[in-house]
Amino acid sequence: MSELAPGRIIEAGELRRDVEETPDVCVIGSGAGGAIVAARLAARGRRVVVLEEGGYFPPDKVKMDEAWAYPTLYQERGQRATADLAITILQGRAVGGSTLVNWTTSFRTPPRVLRHWAEVYGISGLDEKALEPHFEAVEERLHIAPWPLEVVNANNRVLWEGAGRLSWDREVIRRNVLGCQNLGYCGTACPVGAKQSMDQTYLQDAVRDGARIYAHARAVRLEKSGRKVAAVQAQAIDPTTFKATGRKIVVRPRLVVLSGGAVNSPELLLRSGYDPSGRVGKRTFLHPVVASAAVFPERVDPFYGAPQSVASHQFADRGKGKVGFFLETAPVHPLLVGPSLGGFGAEHEEQMSKLAYSSALIALSIDGFLPEEDGGTVSVRSDGRVRIDYRIRPEIWEALREGNKALARVQLAAGASAVYSLHENPVVMRTEADVALLDRAPWEPLRVALFSAHAMGGCAMGRDPEKSVVDSRLKLHWLDNVFVVDGSVFPTSLGVNPQETIFGIAHWASDHIASVI
Amino acid sequence: MLRRTRYRRERILLPGESEGRRSFLKWGLFGTVVLAVGGGTWLATRRTRALPGLGGPFVALSPLEATVFLSIAERLVPVRAGFPRPMDVDLPRRVDSIVAMAPEPTQGEIRQLVRLFDNALAGFLLDGQFHTFTESTIEQQDARIASWQQSRFALRRTGYKALKRLVYAAYYGSPETWPAVGYPGPPSISPAKPAEPPRPETARSSARTHPRPSAPAPRPVEETPAPRSGMDLPQEGKP
Repeated sequence: MSELAPGRIIEAGELRRDVEETPDVCVIGSGAGGAIVAARLAARGRRVVVLEEGGYFPPDKVKMDEAWAYPTLYQERGQRATADLAITILQGRAVGGSTLVNWTTSFRTPPRVLRHWAEVYGISGLDEKALEPHFEAVEERLHIAPWPLEVVNANNRVLWEGAGRLSWDREVIRRNVLGCQNLGYCGTACPVGAKQSMDQTYLQDAVRDGARIYAHARAVRLEKSGRKVAAVQAQAIDPTTFKATGRKIVVRPRLVVLSGGAVNSPELLLRSGYDPSGRVGKRTFLHPVVASAAVFPERVDPFYGAPQSVASHQFADRGKGKVGFFLETAPVHPLLVGPSLGGFGAEHEEQMSKLAYSSALIALSIDGFLPEEDGGTVSVRSDGRVRIDYRIRPEIWEALREGNKALARVQLAAGASAVYSLHENPVVMRTEADVALLDRAPWEPLRVALFSAHAMGGCAMGRDPEKSVVDSRLKLHWLDNVFVVDGSVFPTSLGVNPQETIFGIAHWASDHIASVI
Repeated sequence: MLRRTRYRRERILLPGESEGRRSFLKWGLFGTVVLAVGGGTWLATRRTRALPGLGGPFVALSPLEATVFLSIAERLVPVRAGFPRPMDVDLPRRVDSIVAMAPEPTQGEIRQLVRLFDNALAGFLLDGQFHTFTESTIEQQDARIASWQQSRFALRRTGYKALKRLVYAAYYGSPETWPAVGYPGPPSISPAKPAEPPRPETARSSARTHPRPSAPAPRPVEETPAPRSGMDLPQEGKP
């Protein structure tokens, strides 16, 4: 089956003429989902072409510099957000996708989430037992293991100590790293090649087995023919300006795997006019995040050390009718923090001046589990730009408020001298009694900074073709040769960082995708 | 007079009151109308003049728009010991280069926003101020920023957030500001990739932890790491 053409990574921005490819499989997107499918299909002798909008950045090509990294390695040049700018959205755009720039946190899918998907959405065959061998395989390949407590950085130690003093659940996070030097620059891509991101692992495997990966190649349209996609139209992107060079890449595959992530996968389907039941780009979930900044008497140096290594799931399940949340940490670097802190002027400067003494913790709300919740939407504007809307329901505001209170309590318990909310009028808390001030703070869009690094949903799995986009095998309901393999297929959020769930599902799906070609 | 101003504020801003999709369109329309009408009234005589020595040339912004961004930055980062002035970090050019990365419709929206923010007629209708932002006093400028920041209309808060994001990203993305915030900069790194530790085939990864790394000394890096052998990037694909 496999041809002689050697696998490699091709810089599409340097193409001087149009290209046509006729592989067995075209994978669109090279992140957590696409990379693993590409590698596993290539290993079975299928001819694979991968289209990736972002560039290829091996470790010696990255810089530990935010002003370089966000515009170069992130979606919308680091400016992705909901349409009203209320929620800043961090998502990678590079060979390796978000795995190039994420903070390496690796959790298996909580079994209760898989059970919920089976019960509510009729998803069959995707249970804990089915996924187990696939999680084991990716954990082996990506060297996923707990981070040693002795080298947890001071910012994560705030969560560890604070949760401990409150007798809350706490755990050391498992990370996909090999030879990590504890630098703290996961978010600007690992400069020493320690992070086991897709570009360093499964994409290398795929290339070894003959896959051809086009970097700076943006898929712009799927062309249908009957119940199949016959061609994928892509544009070559200039690596410097990020504008189309005018060169075209046309891929005519037997089968398409769409792995663009929870924003770009529905976006491409909508651009291609595919939305038979009106469910594409619906049920977008974000794990909406509230953050808390605290100043300590001694230096925290939150710039350095593995950025995310401790978590608490104490409040993940808060009972019927309530939205749960979990607690983690965030790296502190000036460009990320400057636009995020509340207020402006002298007070903002004062907080910034204490950055070396600051801790930043985050509470991630677990959206999508209430029966009445329908999440956000991804759509395409008339001028061609993608648009993300997310209306924050009262139950989620309640979770964000309680999450913020939990973070403040952790930071105070760990010895913070002052805790600041990220409201435009920051709530300042110096004692446990002050935490109640958060009850009176305004919980409305754009009065408090909110974030998401976990875009999910938009091509939801489900049994009912009228209410979902892909079936339990991840195939589009209404087309015969298109699978979607990324975080967009989740019918809800997860309650844990999503990368390992995407790895596991991609590894699992590769088996049955291989069986149909 | 005050009463009348209030009355007009309510009338004109009502379309922006809801937070739905439609209100965005109307807000855009409001801005367009204000900017168009502003050109035909006595308030139009109040115009921002581009500052000399702004830097540039600019790709996305006009010199006037860059001047307004600089004025906003002067208030977002007021004078404080150790903090460079926005002009010291070439802020107008940095904002311009961020704006220039955005899709063209977004660039248009940002330019309209910053002109509306500065506009004397908009200042009059929204905040009862008769001046452009750039020619207002410091106190008036802070009040105008705060009125966008604290507005009961989500759309004005969106506008404030857009300006704030751009200014602080441009400012704190500049290494010149790092000493002020106590950030020593990226550490030096040892370029060689450590050897893979032995790993039994059957070991469950969750049963072990990663080897303990030695903590790197946080100090600014001068040299770039030696290149690691990667995959080649051929000039042209051969289908």
